[in-house]
This record gives sequence, C-alpha cells and structure tokens, in this order.
Amino acid sequence: MHAVTPFAGFGLGLRRDHYRDFLEGEVAVDFVEVISENFMVDGGRPLRILEQVRAKLPVILHGVSMSIGSAQGLDADHLARLRTLADRIDPLWVSDHLCWTRTSAHNSHDLLPMPLTRAALDLVCENIDRAQDALGRAMLFENPSSYLSFPHDEYAEWQFLAEMSRRTGCYLLLDVNNIYVSACNHGFDPRDYLAGIPADRVRQVHLAGHTPGEIVIDTHDRPVCDAVWALFARAMALLGPVAVMIERDDAIPPLPELLTELDQARSLAATARLEAAA
Amino acid sequence: MTALAQLQDAFIACLHDDDAPLPPGLDATRAAGMAVYRNGYRARLLDVLAETYPRTARLVGAEAFHQAAAHHLIVHPPSAWTIDRAGEGFADTCADLFAHDPDVAELAWLEWAMQCAFTAADTAPLTHAGFAAATAAFDAADWEQLVLEPIAGTALRPVTHDLPRLWRSLSDESGHATVERLEARHWLLVWREGEEAVFALLPDHEGVALAAAVGGASFGEICAGLAERVGQGEAAAAAGAILNHWLQMGVIESIRAD
Repeated sequence: MHAVTPFAGFGLGLRRDHYRDFLEGEVAVDFVEVISENFMVDGGRPLRILEQVRAKLPVILHGVSMSIGSAQGLDADHLARLRTLADRIDPLWVSDHLCWTRTSAHNSHDLLPMPLTRAALDLVCENIDRAQDALGRAMLFENPSSYLSFPHDEYAEWQFLAEMSRRTGCYLLLDVNNIYVSACNHGFDPRDYLAGIPADRVRQVHLAGHTPGEIVIDTHDRPVCDAVWALFARAMALLGPVAVMIERDDAIPPLPELLTELDQARSLAATARLEAAA
Repeated sequence: MTALAQLQDAFIACLHDDDAPLPPGLDATRAAGMAVYRNGYRARLLDVLAETYPRTARLVGAEAFHQAAAHHLIVHPPSAWTIDRAGEGFADTCADLFAHDPDVAELAWLEWAMQCAFTAADTAPLTHAGFAAATAAFDAADWEQLVLEPIAGTALRPVTHDLPRLWRSLSDESGHATVERLEARHWLLVWREGEEAVFALLPDHEGVALAAAVGGASFGEICAGLAERVGQGEAAAAAGAILNHWLQMGVIESIRAD
C-alpha cells in the first residue's frame, strides 16, 4: 500500500452555504474537505461544483458511511462508488471514522461506538484491509466522539487506534474536539490520549465546537472552545506536518468568520511548533 | 452470529425503541449515553425528511408532517448506506396517512422524484435533428420495433390535482396552498433539463404512452395503445405529436430498433 504523503496546510469543510465563495473567489485556504457520500451520486450539479473547486484547490474526501466496525463487513456498492469518486477527484487522501453505522438490516446514519476488544480490532483491521485494497490506497481513520463506553473494553481508544494503524498501514485523522468530548464523557486525561497516539501516522487534524452538558455532545455548531484550542496547541507540538481544518456543520456562519477562526489555528500551531523546537 | 453482531443488532434496536433492553454488557449507567444516540438518530432522520419534503410539510402543517415522518421512519427504518434515501417511499406513507387528501401523496412523490432527478446521471437528450438522422433509413418494421430510451432521472405517475400550481403556491413559507382537482386524470412527468430537475403535466393519453416507453414498450406497442385511447383514425397524428413533444422537452436520450 502506498504511503500517504504529508500535506501541511490549513483548510475548511466545503459546505453548500459557501459554494459561491469558493467558485467565484479566491478563498485563503490550502485545501477543502468534503463529505464523500454527498458526491457519490450518478451526476448533476454537486459533482460539477466539486470538480470546479478541485480545479482550484486540493480536496480531501471524508466519509461517514464506510462502517469499518460493522460485524457484517463493508458495503460493496458504497466501496465501488467511493472508488469511482476518488478516481474522478484525485483527492489528497480518503478518510472515514473508527465506528460502525449499520447492521445487515438497518443503518443508523450515526457514528456509533465500537467496543474496544481484541475481537473488534481483528474485525476492524480485516475491514480496513478490504477497503484499502478496493480503493487502491491507504486511508485515514478518525477517532470518534462517544457518549458511552463498553465495560469489557480491552484497550484504551488510543491504543486501539495505534494497533489498528500498525496492523493495516492506515493513517490517522486526529479530531482534537472528539478527544476532548470523549475525555469529558469517559473521564480519561486527553494528554494521555495525545501521548499514546503514534504521531508519525497522523496526517490530519480536525477542530470543531461541541455542546457542553452532563454529557458533552459533538455538535459542530459553534466555534472551537478554549479548552480544545489548548489541546490543539499541545497536539501540534507533538505532530509532524499535518493538514488542519475546522468543521462546521450546523449554524454555519459566513465564510469570513470561519477564516478568522482558521487564522487562530495557524497562529496557535506556529507558536506551539516554535515552543516545541526551542 | 458473533458477539459483536449481537451487540450491534441490540444497539440498533435501542435506537428504534425506547423500551428495548440495553445491549449485552451495558448496565443502566449507560442509559443516558444511549439516549444521546437515540435522540440524535431520530432528530437527524426527521431533519432529512423535512429537507426532502419542504412543500409537503407546508401543505399538511408542521405537526402533521412531524407525525407522518416519525411514522414513516418507524415503519421503514433506513437501510441504505446513503442517508439521502431515508425519505424513499414517503409518498406511499402519505397515501396511507392522508387517504382522503390524495394531493399530499402526489406532492410528496413529486418532491422525491425531483430530488432523484437532480443527481441522476449526466446524459444529453436526443435532438430533433439527431432523431431525424437516426431514423432516416427506417422502414415500417423499424418504426414498429423502435424503442425510446428516456434520459436518466425520468419518472412519471398519474395525478388528480394541479401539481404545478400547488408546487408554485408552496414555494415559500408564506405561501397559501392552492389545491385544485383536475377535471380529468393527468400524468406528472419529472426529468433533468441541464442541471435542473423540472416537471410537466401531461394529458392522460400522452402520460400512458410515455409510461409505456419508460417501461420498454416499442413504438408499435405505444401506437397500438394510443389507438385504443384516441381512436384508430387519430392515432398516427397523436403518436407524431407526442413524439415531437418528448423530443422538444428533451426526455429521450437515445433510440434503438430491436
């Protein structure tokens, strides 16, 4: 499996509200990320817009429906359509999540939590091998946010991800907000999480907002909070060159607001790297 | 079935049903977390149906639509990998739930067909000139066997209400629904025109003929059906007129003579 070359830059999720900004102007980002499934269609305007944006900027395909944790294995139609899209768009890379979304009969359309057991690790690695073979490329997988854990877990999530990457050759997409959300919900120290992740396998970092509460929920509907910024700075001191992006999927503000937030990521990352080098 | 498969089946059952037992190994302390997943599942899918059927929601009102959408998701929980298909079959659900108001199911069908046409495969319609060139050497047998291939995304169904007028009246939140019953049955046709999904109301004889074409009937079979509806003497002229109309609208992608 070919290595995924690092790409250092700062980008945003491409959302419908901002299509015009990206098509008609020069937006100060190094790449955009799109939800793969939104473009795994036969034709029409969405694909034409994506190709026009791709002509201007590198694109990352980020999926939400591969379901690498499904006990029943992967969906052949989903894989075939993703391969077609990847061949058409030539993305920086293709990513999805460490989660499951469906059984053989039903689809939750949510990123549901995996029990972190040896048996689950074997299954996930088998599914990742199949996906990477079908796509003809190594993939990135993102750590999810979760609202419940399983008492019979045999690994911490970072241990599971590290072993999964070692066994399959896949890379990691580190969502710093998800680490924070899960740390709040399950009571672990997010610094342990960062320390346990194999930094050389991380190619991308996600930032997003969440809704505080008794259970913290990953809502992507508000700016990144101070605690997540602090964790991001810590991560950037540990990681090599990565693509950093901000996800906003609800209550989407005008583009300049997100670009200002992205400037904050640039600034924090530069400072963290300088301090780490000193 | 593996332990993981059993756990995942039980997890999905919890999303569908408040009273389902927690998956094996999860005690009551996990109930609050499960509730977050359950609420997220329902809210997400209800949002998708509301985005897919905004005019149907305006027609029946927010509360009735919410109940109909929730009923649909209980009876037809999604199984496809794409969430875009969660609204599939909602017109049939509306036909059951709003049995005395068939305009509701007709409008829901139109919204679904428009969504499907929007992302249908990109195909160029056959022009009049292209059709003339392709059929220039046809003899009578070729015309009899001619099969018309509709462009991707084409869908049609019989309707009893003026859907174009109803659609326009519900274009924005403030619109008052204009529900008018048609004097005779018509057919509603949806197709892709460039990048736009569009629709038109067809008279019954033309709709029946196009439905036959979409179903793979030959031109000879279509003409025979037309003769039964408009009379033998009018059939040839009617066949020419509707073929011309289909080419004009751009709903034919190609032809073949089997």
